[in-house]
Amino acid sequence: MPLDVVRRLLTPLREPIVTSRYPDAQPLLQEATRGLPEVDPARCERDGACVTACPTRAIELRDGGWSIDAGRCVFCGLCADACRPEAIRLGQRVELAGTERAALVQLTSLDNRP
Amino acid sequence: MAEPEIGGSGHAGGAAAVCAALKERLGHPVTVSGPADELLVAIPRDELPHAVEVVTEFGALHVMFLGLDLRGLDPAGDLAVEEVLAVPDGPVVRLRASVAVDQPSHRSITPLLPAAQWDEREAHDLFGIVPTGHPDLRPLVLHAPIPGLPHPLLKVPPSGETTPSPFRSFAAHGEGVYELPVGPIHAGIIEPGHFRFSAVGESILHLDARLFYTHRGIEKLVEGRTFDRALPIVERSCGVCTVTHATAFSRAVERLTRTVVPPRARLARVLLAEMERLYNHVSDLGNICAGVGFHYGTSRLGWQKERLLRCNEALTGHRYLTGIVTPGGLRIDLDPARLASLAASVREIDHDVRAIVRRLVRSDGFMNRLHGTGVVSAAKARRMGAVGVGARASGLAFDLRVDRPADGYEELAIPIVTQSSGDVAARFHVRAQEAAISAGIVRDLAGRLPAGAVRVPLAAEAEPGASTLTGVEGPRGASWIWLMAGADGRVERLHLRSASFANWPVVAAAVPGNLVPDFPVINKSFELCYACTDR
Repeated sequence: MPLDVVRRLLTPLREPIVTSRYPDAQPLLQEATRGLPEVDPARCERDGACVTACPTRAIELRDGGWSIDAGRCVFCGLCADACRPEAIRLGQRVELAGTERAALVQLTSLDNRP
Repeated sequence: MAEPEIGGSGHAGGAAAVCAALKERLGHPVTVSGPADELLVAIPRDELPHAVEVVTEFGALHVMFLGLDLRGLDPAGDLAVEEVLAVPDGPVVRLRASVAVDQPSHRSITPLLPAAQWDEREAHDLFGIVPTGHPDLRPLVLHAPIPGLPHPLLKVPPSGETTPSPFRSFAAHGEGVYELPVGPIHAGIIEPGHFRFSAVGESILHLDARLFYTHRGIEKLVEGRTFDRALPIVERSCGVCTVTHATAFSRAVERLTRTVVPPRARLARVLLAEMERLYNHVSDLGNICAGVGFHYGTSRLGWQKERLLRCNEALTGHRYLTGIVTPGGLRIDLDPARLASLAASVREIDHDVRAIVRRLVRSDGFMNRLHGTGVVSAAKARRMGAVGVGARASGLAFDLRVDRPADGYEELAIPIVTQSSGDVAARFHVRAQEAAISAGIVRDLAGRLPAGAVRVPLAAEAEPGASTLTGVEGPRGASWIWLMAGADGRVERLHLRSASFANWPVVAAAVPGNLVPDFPVINKSFELCYACTDR
């Protein structure tokens, strides 16, 4: 009986450490991870299909660029589905915090395409 | 209407019998439409309680009660209320009664059917439809009236002014009775709810739970949206029942548009739903440990849940499985190599979860806290409309996967796990056994998903004014989506009756007679969502 108690007490100690040393170590992502949508300026035809498709109005075509608001995006991927030239993909960016509201909006220039 | 997806001769017979009884007993002509598994019965307003009585004689249980404003389809239309009842081994019966815009009231069905108490209060808040004779018509969803929009789901704001009834907590009075307010902000990463205990010493006499702090108006928000654009919102009604809600919504759209989902997508939806059940059950087992401060169980099961979330992410790109299920099938296909590695991981995790559960069950100090705590009798669970684990732990064998199988579940033989004691321990055991069963289903299906397409375009445009409802057995029980199509394939009205909405009043009823310090573990043993209750 005492042996059983000792064994039970030791069980938790045999469990390995499962947390990682974030942020020193990179966040663990999978190949399939869907992060913030990204646009390929070389493919974008500026037809605005993504703007219409976005259910949270996170995407704008403005100032000669394509902007996405990480504060609104819900990573649903409807923009990528709607994009006929397949210029949009959900990338691997998942560290999206900012210290002010404006920092959540990412603008990709569409002007200097080849 | 779509092909009956829960057909069979038993259902059709039940439908005929219910129709005949309604026609005979109501003494009014009744109009019946809809497929055999889903009867839409138009009845005179004052016959609503009577009709409910007739249908409950077939053993029918309350599913939902909702308000409707038909002026969006026809400016000269009326308001309506609809009570939905499910006849066991029979059809879903929808009793719809017209309610005049200028005199919006009907006789309350709550005295007959206590499970409808919250639904009627909700229709009162959101439509201003008064259920006369309701025993407790305090505000439920709206804590304070919205300026200029007293009843937000009306299509046309009322011209006259309305006087909101004030909210008062129910409290017990007497010598030595005290009130203990808890929340809405809690010392933990949980959602907001205000719990007011009336207690004598450590014993709870009554619990008045006030929720709906996270009411976001989701049902209003999706009105007028196309199905595609409504989906991401419905899917995110809460964070942990996403496959459940997305599947219920998608199936409702598919019924309205007569769309038949390809076989691969049907079984893939089952696989995703079982992954959702698995990670929720594992997480909830850990949370029961948290409810009694047994941190070993909390942390070990928390790690197993994290492993399952990583499996979800590896398979679908999202830890909580959003963005996969869509009307017509799946938005993306599931990769065969990833399915194979999912099966291997789930096998390992299942093994580890079982080992942890065995250790917990052998801990007398832990199990003593669960036995006899938060007892809900079978009669109480049935009367109050309990669903899911909350019903099965009280001996009620309700499981939509078996009762109304659809979307691939017809092809599986799933045992219904029940316990009879109705206490926290029973809910613990039901979850532990169901988690193992779900792991088995995932491993089985991962290896044999049929080949082929995973998505088809919607077969037809939904007819404006057509409506349907579908239920999906989620981790917390049956969640139902009621959907009416408007013009151009848009949402005219959507109602989500989540499993948590059905079970919250049961939690409050499980508490009296217990000690105040046992409330956390009673609450955790149901582990309901606030977000999809509040919507």
